[in-house]
Amino acid sequence: MSGKLKLTIYWLIGLIIVIILPHVIGIVYTNVLVTFMMDAVFALSINLLLGFTGLLSFGHAMFFGIGAYAAALSLTHIQGFPLIGVIFISAISALLLACIVAPLLARVTGTAFAMLTLAFGQLLYVICLKFREITGGEDGIAGYDTPPIHLGFTNVDITDPTNFYYFAFVVLGLLAFFMWWLVKTPFGSVMISIRDNAQRVEYLGYRVKHSKALVLIISGTVTGIVGGVYALFHNLVSTDGVLTIFVSFYPLMGAYIGGIASFFGPIFGAGLLHVFDELTSRYTERVDLVNGLIFILVVMYAPYGAVGLWWSIKAWLFKSKLQKA
Amino acid sequence: MSSVVGMYITQGIHGLVYGMLLFLVSSGLTLIFGMMGILNLAHASFFMLAAYFCYAVLQVTGSFWTALIIAPVFAAFFGVLAERFLLRKVHASGHIAELLLTLGMSLVILEAVKVFWGTESLIITVPESLTGLVNLGLDINYPIYRLFIIVIACVTLIFMALILFKTRLGKIVRASVTNPQMVSALGINTPVVFMLVFGIGTWLAGIAGVCAAPLLTVFPGMADQMGMDCFVVVVTGGLGSLLGAFIAALGIGELNAFGVQFVPRLVPVITFGFMVIVLAIKPTGFFGEREA
Repeated sequence: MSGKLKLTIYWLIGLIIVIILPHVIGIVYTNVLVTFMMDAVFALSINLLLGFTGLLSFGHAMFFGIGAYAAALSLTHIQGFPLIGVIFISAISALLLACIVAPLLARVTGTAFAMLTLAFGQLLYVICLKFREITGGEDGIAGYDTPPIHLGFTNVDITDPTNFYYFAFVVLGLLAFFMWWLVKTPFGSVMISIRDNAQRVEYLGYRVKHSKALVLIISGTVTGIVGGVYALFHNLVSTDGVLTIFVSFYPLMGAYIGGIASFFGPIFGAGLLHVFDELTSRYTERVDLVNGLIFILVVMYAPYGAVGLWWSIKAWLFKSKLQKA
Repeated sequence: MSSVVGMYITQGIHGLVYGMLLFLVSSGLTLIFGMMGILNLAHASFFMLAAYFCYAVLQVTGSFWTALIIAPVFAAFFGVLAERFLLRKVHASGHIAELLLTLGMSLVILEAVKVFWGTESLIITVPESLTGLVNLGLDINYPIYRLFIIVIACVTLIFMALILFKTRLGKIVRASVTNPQMVSALGINTPVVFMLVFGIGTWLAGIAGVCAAPLLTVFPGMADQMGMDCFVVVVTGGLGSLLGAFIAALGIGELNAFGVQFVPRLVPVITFGFMVIVLAIKPTGFFGEREA
């Protein structure tokens, strides 16, 4: 059997599992899956900056939050706002925000980049908290209608958890595929070389600052769309839910625990975090304490995360087999 | 007329109090950054931790003065442990790993505090001898405790300045801020110096924490505003520069005090706006020689 056919069969099997999964595991776990997918794509977009361009962003919640707020506000104030419009407006709002902050952020790297993103994120947080007549402050915006999907002949109601799962899978899957494609393009190679040696990339004639700004804008826009999906899913957008520092930290932890060195690591890490949450919340209320400790351990002993661990285990097994033979 | 002048003076002193607290916390942060190149995200957590220790010591002994001495030492002890057993091990993995580690530390400290003391605000009363108001003239009655904070901060800082500029240890520390590799090459055990400076930095944050405890009450979120303002101070003042941190801390303190008076909604925006403008014009901050 040729490799390509094998791969197609694997993909088909995967797709079938994804399609029948919500019917097998029930509504509660379907909703858990949806949050997992959102976290995973959020973590992927953070890793686009962290793992591939070497920029640590502490303020990605601002893109997430602005996407969510844009979706919630347009659904509240515009009658009959279509679903595709929601996705579009979250993307555009995050894109605009990224375009505003990118010129300043692209000039710096390392600690300054982290601190500036943190500052911008906090800035947006306090603005949303204080201007409560627009954003609802701590109470947030809730109770807007979730529009159905128009498929021409029929309307699909996405307030049904299973339908929402399919919808989220399509949108988030496309985003993940887009990012996967991006890192395979020549531009993806430029990103990786900026991470490894920005000065040399500059000498080679590439525009480092412009490329960094572009990565930031792409990553921010993707995060904004995830924010829009969040707004549709929870039907509630509040500053505590979408704009606090922890909204940025959580996917960052996921990305790091999964492994920032590979593209699929963050997906894995987001899944691991969900599993940890599920397990620890049975025994203790302080889930974040356990997460924090795991995170510290990963940073100290497994800098390439779970995927890195898997690689070293594989290398170790492979080597021992060779020695036996 | 007089009441307006009085308002300006009162707010000015308020700003000075906050600025001094801010400088106590950020001086440690900026020294640590200068020496080790780490922006310690958990620094404000030690500030909070000291406030909780202060509460614990008060419960045991009932004396604020004992707490003022013991609590910061405990905070510093934890700081030293964190440096020795956590930070030092990831130093080789680069700045991003260190930043993430301190982030994890701040998360763990926050959650651990919630486990031990719960999430409610704990109230610490000002000691008997420092309650009440003092008349500063012009019909201004000002709380003694806030003036006491200024005094404590000044005493601590003069003490620190003497160590830093008049002793051999201070010379080593200042040299390490400029060029740690060179100091190490001259045969000085820089890891020990690092540990010491980390301890002193957290001790300073601890003193600020105990001083601030009666003002802010003790609760898990008390480090949030202080932490953010502190980073603004260190970044705008120039990373590793004590003078820059001093000027920025007092500036932010006054900005805060008068911001609360005139544009209460926009106070945090002013602080961050200040930082963004400074960084846009001079990416190294006021007195910084290198970029972060």
